[in-house]
Amino acid sequence: MEAPQYVAARIQQALAEDARTHELGIHVDVRGDQLFLRGQVSGNDQRVRLGEVAHEAAPDLRMHNEIKVVVVNEPGEDEHLD
Amino acid sequence: MSTLTEVRIAAVGDIHLGEDVRGEYRKRLEGIEERADVLMLAGDLTRHGTLEEGRVVADELRDLPVPVVAVLGNHDYHSDLQHEIASELRDAGVTVLDDDGVVIECGGSKLGVVGGKGFGGGFAGKCASEFGEREIKDFVAHTRYIAESWKIALKETQADRRVVLSHYSPIKETLEGEPLEIYPFLGSYLLAEAVDTAGADLILHGHAHKGTEKGLTPGGIRVRNVALPVLGKAYAVYCLECGE
Ligand SMILES: [Fe+2]
Ligand SMILES: [Fe+2]
Repeated sequence: MEAPQYVAARIQQALAEDARTHELGIHVDVRGDQLFLRGQVSGNDQRVRLGEVAHEAAPDLRMHNEIKVVVVNEPGEDEHLD
Repeated sequence: MSTLTEVRIAAVGDIHLGEDVRGEYRKRLEGIEERADVLMLAGDLTRHGTLEEGRVVADELRDLPVPVVAVLGNHDYHSDLQHEIASELRDAGVTVLDDDGVVIECGGSKLGVVGGKGFGGGFAGKCASEFGEREIKDFVAHTRYIAESWKIALKETQADRRVVLSHYSPIKETLEGEPLEIYPFLGSYLLAEAVDTAGADLILHGHAHKGTEKGLTPGGIRVRNVALPVLGKAYAVYCLECGE
């Protein structure tokens, strides 16, 4: 079995290199069969695209897209922890 | 078929209030009952831990339309008046945790909250240990005692969902942005180890003003640094699903 650190590194590389995203600085964590994405982006579309690319890179993992869209006005969005 | 309800947790730490900003934070809490079912405060409510500052905090939080649970932070201990400040807050209707727990009814669900100030020591592989000088042993023993108390309190807390409320951090990921050299003073992995052992759904902490909001324990429990400067807003809201 591939070590989780290597799976995470592979997903991170996909997020950086895929033409749909080219997003650096997204934190990728793999714990068991779960995949967590964290970081900040400037819009919801980019967050969704990052989720898609990550899922394609590791389709067997249950993904939690915790990437945050930077919101300037108060009080910002709620976070749903599922 | 079971229906799912959500409990909405508003959380913030490090509000560091004083007389000069009396009334300001209260304004930002207006309408909180529309957005959240409970407010949790992750310590450092004052600047220097004076009774005057403690009273400002108590007045800002008095008779809010949602239950308020708080822990104190190192700043609130600075004047050795932590017990007096806690009393002021309790008189204002705030539940102040001190290495113990409480269960709150939230729209038919039971939300357990366990916690306290927490303490430092550092993170696995790069931490202090109970060895050598008495001062070092006392430092580490203090964190161990706290972690053990939380573990017991968590095991005793029967609830649909359980949240740990701390001032110090249980993990280093939410410290990212702080200088590495001060990590041992910002938190301890012993806190995470205790919570991973006993189980919880979410850990909230403050203290690391330059840190990062989101992280995970080694056991996969979500951790959120809710220090006001990190959030950049009056409070964050985290929604936990509760099966009915
Ligand atoms: Fe603080
Ligand atoms: Fe602090």
